[in-house]
Amino acid sequence: MANFLLRRLAMMILTMLCASFLVFAVCEFTPGSVARKSLGPFATQQQVDLLTEKLKANDPLLVRYGRWLGVLVGAIPDPLQDPATGLNFKDPRGAQYFGNFGYSTLNKLPVNDVIWDRLGNTAILAGLAFLLIVPLSIVFGVLSGLREGGVLDRTLSVICITFTSIPEFASGVFLVTLFVILWPILPGTSPLNSDGGWAVPYQFVLPVAVLVIYDFGYVARMIRVSMIGVMERPYIRTAILKGMSTRRMVLSHALRNAMIAPFTVLLLQINFLISGVVVTELVFAYPGFGRLILEASLFGDMATLEAATLITVAVAVVTQLLGDLGYMLLDPRIRVR
Amino acid sequence: MTTVDKTQHSYIPTLVEEMSSGTIGRRDFLRKATLLGLSAAAAYSMAGVAMPGAGAQAEDMPKGGNLRIGMRCMEIKDPHLADFAEKSNVIRQVCEYLTFTDRNNITHPYLLEKWEASDDLKTWTLHIRKDVKWRKGGKPLTADDVVWNLKRVSDPNVGSSVLGLFTGYLVQEYETGEKDEKGNAKKSSKLWADNAIEKVDDYTVRLNCFAPQIAVPEHLYHYPMFILDPADNGAFGPDANGTGPFEMTEYTVGKGAKYKARTDYWGTGPYLDTFEYVDLGDNPGAGIAAMASKQVDGLSEADAVQINSMKNFPHVAVYQVETTQTVVARMHPDIEQFKDKRVRQAMRYAIDRDKVIQTALLGAGAPAEDHHVAPSHPEYAALPKYPRDIEKAKKLLADAGYPDGFEFDMVTRPDPIWELNTAQVLAQQFADIGVKINIKALPSAQYWEVWTTAPFSLTAWGHRPLAIMTLSLAYRSNAAWNESNYSNPDFDKLLTEAEGILDPKERSKVMAKIEAIMQDDGPIVQPFWRVFSTVMDKKVKGFELHPSQYIFAHQYAISA
Repeated sequence: MANFLLRRLAMMILTMLCASFLVFAVCEFTPGSVARKSLGPFATQQQVDLLTEKLKANDPLLVRYGRWLGVLVGAIPDPLQDPATGLNFKDPRGAQYFGNFGYSTLNKLPVNDVIWDRLGNTAILAGLAFLLIVPLSIVFGVLSGLREGGVLDRTLSVICITFTSIPEFASGVFLVTLFVILWPILPGTSPLNSDGGWAVPYQFVLPVAVLVIYDFGYVARMIRVSMIGVMERPYIRTAILKGMSTRRMVLSHALRNAMIAPFTVLLLQINFLISGVVVTELVFAYPGFGRLILEASLFGDMATLEAATLITVAVAVVTQLLGDLGYMLLDPRIRVR
Repeated sequence: MTTVDKTQHSYIPTLVEEMSSGTIGRRDFLRKATLLGLSAAAAYSMAGVAMPGAGAQAEDMPKGGNLRIGMRCMEIKDPHLADFAEKSNVIRQVCEYLTFTDRNNITHPYLLEKWEASDDLKTWTLHIRKDVKWRKGGKPLTADDVVWNLKRVSDPNVGSSVLGLFTGYLVQEYETGEKDEKGNAKKSSKLWADNAIEKVDDYTVRLNCFAPQIAVPEHLYHYPMFILDPADNGAFGPDANGTGPFEMTEYTVGKGAKYKARTDYWGTGPYLDTFEYVDLGDNPGAGIAAMASKQVDGLSEADAVQINSMKNFPHVAVYQVETTQTVVARMHPDIEQFKDKRVRQAMRYAIDRDKVIQTALLGAGAPAEDHHVAPSHPEYAALPKYPRDIEKAKKLLADAGYPDGFEFDMVTRPDPIWELNTAQVLAQQFADIGVKINIKALPSAQYWEVWTTAPFSLTAWGHRPLAIMTLSLAYRSNAAWNESNYSNPDFDKLLTEAEGILDPKERSKVMAKIEAIMQDDGPIVQPFWRVFSTVMDKKVKGFELHPSQYIFAHQYAISA
């Protein structure tokens, strides 16, 4: 087990290194320099060159990547925080420490001051959505899969497919029209403070609803297919013939086996919910992680983008690990192997 | 009639006469007379009309409360480099200007008590108010502070767009002696003389210009022309010093800004306790939703589509104002396809302006005439209008060597949406004369990277009270914002001439020539002037929509 975990950890670090290097490389080819964007459209070329030099943006790719890595692990101090650059970049934690993500050129703040609040906001949104998606999709999936082609299956399938096919921005606008404008019982944006007169819990209702509507039908369809497969297995037939109640048959025999494949899909939703909810965040002006990544990539804010990449890769790798551990719990045969 | 003050400009009696005889309108009189240093109150009284806002007394305004306005909050580097109305709105609550141009395009003294212009319009004496105090340190605003700011924006290393406005009367271009990659002589600019900006005494500054310039007071209200505390050395953020009505307590890019009212502000107001901007992101729907659930009390701007969805909300008031805000599809005349002026003319004949206004602005606009001078500008001269003429356009293209048209990329940005809509309508209309335009919509950050270098782009231009301001920023050879690379010595000469002519009739004659050059040879297709609109909650008092999208939080109040 320890061996397994160690190997997984090594793999995770390697994946993160690859991903972070890829982001550096891809940013090389996107148009527009950070210096120009920081200084705005009306700065002289002389000013842009000067800032580019200060930001050390002209060094070769590998040098910059190495430096970023060195700053991250705390091996070298962040050169941008050197007062001699005149950039006025200051990090209260100091210029050299482990986990130093560097300085955000977009926000003019240390990345560590920018990113964690945003990630926390998105984690809350994602967590609430996930808490609803899991039971909803299981109930819908199991009920549809119990009797393939039955009235219940068809009804639930229509609901699932319809909901999944509505893009987030459409359902967002639709819900806002309904519950904010026509029947005003909910706030239309979610700044996550109550300054606008709406308590924070109310501000979660619509964004969470949009995510659940968009996502649960898809997972439910996966569970349905898996359930149909399980329902055709001989041990289920035996259980039914033995006279076992449907309830007991589903809960103790079918469900556990039917969840093995959809388990991965469910865990993949965590990745989507952390980094892919940018549309929902835009519709509700939600101060989340997706919007931050979008803005950072449009601006070319490397430090923020790299930090975001590491976090999303970490989330992906950890959910994969959880998935593998989950399989072991669900299916004893995997443990034996 | 007010008694004539001996210190007033010698031209004012002529203006009064012209107004009485009907040669110039009251509005024109007000504008001219205030520009020449006559106080707004005196000018309004001479014109026999009530001064706007004079009726609303400070004591009538409700006091206290917090006001929240939805607006993008972008990164701010240096107030003197502010390049968007939104950025200037963030700074405007903390730092102030020497002058103030109101929504009727009339310029008043602000941090100045008054100004005086010499008869030849070359010497401008600025008298600074003596009751203005910096928030931090409590020291008074002095001539030294003002001189430092004026000199700073005139330094090309700072990169302020004010430099472009000052060029031609305070700032001169010179050749550095170095050559660029193409072998052309590198140019830079500097103040034309050591005493160009001169401190007379602690509260008086004199501008000694080498050429006459009528628009000096309006230039001093160009939006980066903030008066900053020299001690801050151009830096801005929470706690920045200022003479303005508010102290900024918090600023987060992409999230918002918070302000606390000063209790020792020298002017009237502020009535609010606190003021806030809330960044609602790029999605226009978020603005509507936030207004619907009363999470913000107003927006800094609402486009026609947003207005349509909000006008029926019972608590929302819609504000509209005619502006000289516009977009220009501008061509680099040094590019092969656009070199021949007949091609540029053909592009102008290809446009059905009314259709563009209907489609892209839902009707909220007025047709423009390709010379960037609006009918509401005082120097406007009416030229013969020309309708869409496909046959003529095709013939011009054929004569220029493009009988089958050509294909070209047009750079624009997707936000605000009316800009992209305009690009699409224009592209369709260009297609009718055989010019196939591919729209390249770049995210704003990337767009601003190429806005001056792209051979063909669609660019939005803000509202300015005088046409000569825009023309000198955008079309004078080598001007800071000359995005179209336009360079025409005749145009430059006429523009300099117009900037020094006071008589409206005479100036309009020169403007007619300038406008004709723009229509004949100029680099732009200009479809419309925009009507600017926004929304506020009905409980917001004292709000007047400024055509430049400027927010003045100290004039607003909120009723319980």
